[in-house]
Parts: sequence; C-alpha cells; structure tokens
Amino acid sequence: MAGRAEFLERIRREVAKTPGLFGASTAPRPPRPAAAAEAIRRELAERWPQALDRFRQEFERVAGVFHRVPDLAAVPDTIAAIARERGARRLVTWDPAILGFDAGARLAADGCAVVTARAGQEDEASRLRHRADAAAAQLGVTGADLVLAETGTLILLSGAGRPRSTSLLPDVHVAVFGRDRLLESLEQVGVMLEDLHVDPDAAMSGAMINFITGPSRTADIELTLTRGVHGPKEVHAVFVEAP
Amino acid sequence: MAAPVRASLMITCLGDVFFPEVGVAMVRLLRGLGVEVDFPEGQTCCGLPLFNSGYHHDAALVAARTVELFERAEHVVVPSGSCAWMVKTEYPGLLKHDPARRAAAESLARRTRELSQFLVEVLGVTRLDARFEGKVTYHDSCHLLRGLGESAAPRALLRGVPGVELVELPGADQCCGFGGSFSVRLPEVSSAILDKKLASVEATGARCLVACDAGCLMQMGGGLSRRGSSVKAIHLAQVLAGEGPR
Amino acid sequence: MSEGLLRTTLPDRAGAALRDTFLQQALTIATTKFIDLRRESFEGFPQGEALRDRARAIKEATLQHLDVHLERLADNVERLGGTVHWAATAEEAREIVLRLARDRGVRMAVKSKSMATEEIDLNEALEHAGVTPVETDLGEYIIQLAHEKPSHIIAPAIHKTKGQVAELFSRELGGRFEADPEVLTAVARRALRQKFLEADMGITGANFAVADTGTVVLVTNEGNGRMVTSLPRIHVALMGIEKVIPSMSDLVVFLDILARSATGQKLSSYTTLVRGPRRAGELEGPEEFHLILLDNGRARQIASTLREALYCLRCGACLNVCPVYRQIGGHAYGYTYPGPIGILLTAMLKGNESVRELAHASSLCGACKDVCPVRIDIPRMLVELREHLDREKIAPWSERVVFHAFRRLLLSPAAFRLSARAGRWLQRPFVRAGRLRGLPLLLGRWTRTRDLPPVAARTFRELWKELR
Repeated sequence: MAGRAEFLERIRREVAKTPGLFGASTAPRPPRPAAAAEAIRRELAERWPQALDRFRQEFERVAGVFHRVPDLAAVPDTIAAIARERGARRLVTWDPAILGFDAGARLAADGCAVVTARAGQEDEASRLRHRADAAAAQLGVTGADLVLAETGTLILLSGAGRPRSTSLLPDVHVAVFGRDRLLESLEQVGVMLEDLHVDPDAAMSGAMINFITGPSRTADIELTLTRGVHGPKEVHAVFVEAP
Repeated sequence: MAAPVRASLMITCLGDVFFPEVGVAMVRLLRGLGVEVDFPEGQTCCGLPLFNSGYHHDAALVAARTVELFERAEHVVVPSGSCAWMVKTEYPGLLKHDPARRAAAESLARRTRELSQFLVEVLGVTRLDARFEGKVTYHDSCHLLRGLGESAAPRALLRGVPGVELVELPGADQCCGFGGSFSVRLPEVSSAILDKKLASVEATGARCLVACDAGCLMQMGGGLSRRGSSVKAIHLAQVLAGEGPR
Repeated sequence: MSEGLLRTTLPDRAGAALRDTFLQQALTIATTKFIDLRRESFEGFPQGEALRDRARAIKEATLQHLDVHLERLADNVERLGGTVHWAATAEEAREIVLRLARDRGVRMAVKSKSMATEEIDLNEALEHAGVTPVETDLGEYIIQLAHEKPSHIIAPAIHKTKGQVAELFSRELGGRFEADPEVLTAVARRALRQKFLEADMGITGANFAVADTGTVVLVTNEGNGRMVTSLPRIHVALMGIEKVIPSMSDLVVFLDILARSATGQKLSSYTTLVRGPRRAGELEGPEEFHLILLDNGRARQIASTLREALYCLRCGACLNVCPVYRQIGGHAYGYTYPGPIGILLTAMLKGNESVRELAHASSLCGACKDVCPVRIDIPRMLVELREHLDREKIAPWSERVVFHAFRRLLLSPAAFRLSARAGRWLQRPFVRAGRLRGLPLLLGRWTRTRDLPPVAARTFRELWKELR
C-alpha cells in the first residue's frame, strides 16, 4: 500500500522533470479577505434593489417561486399559504433563533405539525428523531446565508440549528432572507468563501456549504427534464424587505 | 507603377493528381487579377498525411524539402486549408532541431496562404468579374475553419460573384468525415458522418457544394455521385473563375 | 483485477453502434441538445472566453506544484478529522474501500456518480465482498439495474429509451410502470430514498478539492450528492490527484464555466462543499470522512505529451461535438472514458497499446478543442499519441511499411510522377462514367460507399507546360 511519502515523492519527481507547458498562475486570493468581504457588503448595501431584481429573474428562470414580504412578522403567514397550497401538513424548520421568526404557532393553527432543529441538541436520540422527522416532512424552512443574483442561487451553511436535510428531504423547500445576504457575482462569492475560511471553525458550526440553484432535476431519461429526483421538487425564496 | 504580385502555387498532392482543373481555375483566376503565377516543379505533397498518422520523422523530411523548394517564393498560394495549415503551423515545429531550417520554415509559414485568404488579405478582392449562375452552399473544412480561423473570406468571395446565390449550410462547421486516413481506417463511421452532411447539403436546394479542400471535396463529391445526386461538389477557385463543375 | 485489453475490434463495435437505430436517434437528439444548450449559454456570456483561459492557467499552474497542493489538501483534511488515503493503483484504491467497509461493518453503500469509481471497477469489487453498492444518480441507477456501463460522461443512460427504462424498472423493482419520465423519476425517488436513509456508507467522487481549506466539491443536479454526503455514517470520496485546486478563489472560476460547458446551466442545481466529517454542533452528517487520492497512471503524465489531459473537468462537452462520438456513442470506445478526451485518458490509464485503434477514432476536426472549458488541445495530443504508436512499434508493421514507402514517394518528384502514370493505367478496369468504383483492397473500403475521382488524364504538373 502506498504511503504518503512515497506517493508524493513520485509526483515530486515527475513535476521536477518539466517546467510545464507555459507560465501560468492561479487566481489571486484577496490579501485581506475580511476587508474585501466588508467592502462587498458595503457596495451591496447600495445596490441591493438591482441585485434583488436580478436574483428574482434568475431564480424564476430555474423554476424558483419568489415571494416578497414587508417584515419578518409576515413570514409565517406566507409559509402557511405555501403549505396550504402544496398540501403540506408536516414541516421541518431551522432553529427559530437563526431564522428570526417562529412559524410554529401559525402553522399549528392550520393543523400542521412543525418540527424545529434546536442548536445544542445533538445527542444520538435527537439525531435519530430528527432524521425521521425530516424524512416525513413535506416542507422545509431555512434561511439563506448568501444569495447570488447572477445565477439565482441560495447558499446555505450547515451547522448547529441549521441541519442539511431541511433543504433536501422535503418535497418543498422555502428559504427566507433579507437584503444583507445578496451578492451579485460568483467572483464576490469567492471573496466571501475566502473570508469564511480564514477561521472556519469560528465562522461556521457545520462542515457543509450547499449552493442551491432551483429544484432537484435530471434529464437522464431521453433528455426529458423532470424535477424532484432526490431533492425538493420546488424551491421558494421569501425576501423580507425590512432591513 | 507597382510591381505585380508574384504567387507560387503549392498545388497539393490531391490537387495535382485528382483535381488539376482546380489548379487551372486558380491560374486563370489569379492571372485575371494581375498576379504573376509560377509553379515550383519539384513539389509533391506537404506531408500532412504522414504527420497526422504520427510519422513525424518522415513528415519532417518532406517538410525540409518543401521549405527549400519554395524558399524564393514571394507568396505561396494553396488551394487547400489543410495543407496551408500544415505549412503554417506544423512545419516550424517539425524542423525545430535544425535552427536554419526552422527559420526557413517560419519564413515560409509567413508567406503561405490558403487561396481565399490570399485573395482577401493580399489582393483585397471583394468582387469578381466571373459569372456563376445558381444557388451554392459552402462547407467549412476543419483545418481552414479551426486551424486557420477562416470562415468569412470564402463566403465574402462567393457573395462577390455576380449570379451566385449563397445559401448557408446548416452544420457547415461540422466535419464531413474525411480526416485523411480516417476515411479508410474507419470507413463505416466516415460514411455515416458523410451521410449526415450530405442530407444537410441536399436540403439546401443548392446546385453546387463549394469547399476549399480537396480532401473534403473527394469525400463529399464521392458521396454525392454515389447517391446519384444532382448536387455537384466543386472548389471555390472554380466558382470564382466562373467555371462550372466537370 | 486489472482490465485486459479488449478482445473486440473498434470497427466491429462501431459497426454495431451504427446499426443500432435507436442509439443513432438518441445520440443525435442528445448531443444536438447539449450542443445547443452550451452554445446559448456561452452566447450570453461574454466573459466566457477569458474565463476559459483563466481556468486553463489555474490547472497548468496547479500541476507545476501538484505535490505541494496535495500535501496541503491532505493536511487540512486531516486537521478537520478526516482521513486521507494514498492509492497508487486502482487495486490499492479498491482495497482501501473494501477494508473500510469490512472494518466498519458496511452492508450497503449508496453512490453518487463518480467516473473514478467506474475507472477502478469498484462496484464489482464491493459486490464480491458482500457489500451492496447502490448507484443513486438516475442514469447510473438505470444502467446498474441493466448491468451495463455508462455511455456518456454526464448522461450515462442516454442510449436507453423510456420504454426500456419502464420495462427495466418494472422487472427489477416489481410493478408495472408507464414509459413516462415523470413517473419513472418518481419511482426512482421512492426506491432510492429508502436506500439513502438505510445506507452505512456514502461513496462519491470529487469534481474539485480545495487545498487551502480541505474542502471536497461535488457538482450535481439531482440531490443524491447531498444525500450521500449527509445521511450515511461514513463518507468516502475517491478523487484523481489532478482534481486538486489551490483556493476558493480558484474554485469560483471553475464553477463559472463547468455547468455551462456540460449542460448549458449557469450552475448545476447543487454545488456541495464538504469540509470533513460533521462538526460537533451538527445533527446530521457522517461521523467519518475519508478522502482517497488516486494516481492510477496520472502522475506519469505530468512530464509527458498527455499532460494537458490532466486539466480535464469531465464536463462531456467534447463528446457532444465529436463527429465520431455522435455516430458511435460511448460503449463503442470500449473503455471507461469515451469520446475525444476518453482516448487520451485511456492511454494515460492503460498505456499506449490500449489505444492502438482508438488513437485513430478521430478525423482530427478540432471541434473538441473549440468547446473544451480548459482548452485542452486534444487533436494535437491524438497526433502525438499516433507518433508514439509508430515510435514504439505498436502500429501494425504493414501500416508502417506503407507510410515509410509513401514518404519515399514524396521525396522524389520522379517517383511521384511515375506513380500517377501507373495509377492512371491500373485504374482503367474500375472507371465507370468518369468515377472510380469497386476498387480492391484498402481503397475498397472507400469505394464501398463512395466514388473516387479517377487519376486525371493529365495531372496539373503536366498541364502546367501549357499554362506557363
């Protein structure tokens, strides 16, 4: 079995044999990621309306459903409406402390069962229970940590109180976000990712980052597009106007 | 009065043996444009078939000879995108171990042009005197299109011939299936690719299929005549000289 | 178990593909669709050309210090609590997975699409060891049930009709399913959902791995990549060494062009960044993360003429435009990786002898190079490969003799003139209505389906005497 040293030595030997095909460099990293990220946030604080318009356009292009509400208090009603329309009776949500709202009461009033992930409950029993709940849920509610206008993409960090499956197992995924999440370009996303990873354990409590661009899809059978292969069949984005 | 442009013909092996009428049309065309034409007699082939099949040592020998044959030519004009490509892009590399030959190859590369590129870039031709009636469609041969980056000149020249109605060929940029020895190494695949191409050609309703490469013309012409098609495959030079197909 | 060289010939396999009417239709429809999607996508993307240059530069620059980047990647993965394994060969890689499965009591593993796992024949090895591998990518799931190999890098079941899929599902899963892609997708969703939730191990490939952070990146559309890396208790990622890139800033350059090149999407539905096993605060995610770095013939290419092939992003764009692939499909190539890049990868992984025929499965048209997101000069490398076949005497003796003779002809104008005259004489029995037909031997391969112009009564050089 190859050991690390032997494996790398073989590569080193090959690399040493040639200067390569042409002089080339990798992409420049921002020398001060925190400052670069902050600069982007300041720019977007000005340009968020255009970014939002662009996001809506691209999100709808990938079959996302866009909603706009005045403030966080209005969100539970919107979720309830989506749940009713889609016949979803069991929901799973991220920790309300992270979401900034608690839809539990409003949905219970409609006769829906809501399971929330709470940060700090990560024992084995909770894990198994949450898995079963998430698998049974028909609608999942999350936030969105970054929202990319250029491609209509929601970027979600996993972690405490923000499980991966909420945006994956249910048939319908609803992501709620405000103006401070908007970004215009993939290049800006690159800067944000650099910034997040300067001290990743401080910045993120989980090990996964998911970029979600519309519902799950495939065209593997005769190139006919179908949605909801393994992930959600539908993705909703709820924009909260109030800063 | 400016000295006339002098062009040496690189007729190509296929052109010499199978399509001499193309060479004749070229001579007529170029002389009609005031070009002095000569033909270095010892030429045979640019060596592309050897090169493409991996016989690079052999191709280098042919390249060295060709470079020498054309060393005094002011302009070298080739009725073939693939041969022009060979001379312009591959000769210097093949002769890289001999600095003098390499320099000579680089010089030849600079002086060599495919016919349509010569007409447009050196002579600035936009209109031609010849007349050619009918609908024609144009096939982009791979080495001219992708190797030499040329798709505009042949079309512009065709449109500059009174009487020509140029109709765009869907999939004009798709290979005809010749590929040199590919056509006999994998003949069934080559023919299947050809069938697709000819179906597009026939659907245009054109009377003539025009191309700038003898290999493509052999392949497509051979397919058209086997099908008993009324479409004729001819070389750009023939249209520009106002000559119909044989 | 090392794959021997094929016993069938390329012309035979190609012939079978040409006679398969459904395959011909499917290939035309699918490749045309992918070509149109890619073209539309790049038409509305003016920065695309510059991005392709940047992507190529990043790949080249990374190769120039590949060992350094891999070392940094490994250190970071280990710092996160993951384990890095070093597999010099396919066999070693299989052994690592089997040992893990055995030691951890794995009975069933769910797999997200990975060409690398196909390359090492992992599924067969797992099955022999009593571990059930379940492909979850819909196309891979279909061909797994059908006991076939993928025929396209990103759309593995392109060669199957919806009727065939319906029949297959009905037979293997029990039931009677309509030949409707929506229905069949729902069937697969249900069947595989259970597997995701029950599997002991998730196996993936990796589109990229970021050295700076220890992150493995998966680009998918279906969601199975996310399932497989979040639900089972162990995640194993198998990755060719050439997939490492230095930073997140590099990553976004590739994300910007990869999906566009493959399917015309701006981004695929899911891009998943995996940084080790689940963290302490997470309810979900694997307890263990294993990254297997696979050489299997790649390192040897760093200083070879096939170096550029290491840039490949496995997008499939070259397959879609290749006139040969479009006619014969993936299976006719015979090895794991089909299409233009497949020929180079096969030579890389199995040696030059394996591409004795495949190196000529190309008309050198260059369409592949036109669409490659990292501008790999595939035609040039195919010609170099052919040069190796001559130099290493792998090309058949008879062919080499003919070409060396041809060279002699080309070096002597007298001999050239003589052969034209000889041709004129020899062709006489075969001329019909001004065309050559029914020629014997090698040229018969031409005249079976096409006419040839005869050697002209007077060659140009003979006519020149009058023209001068």
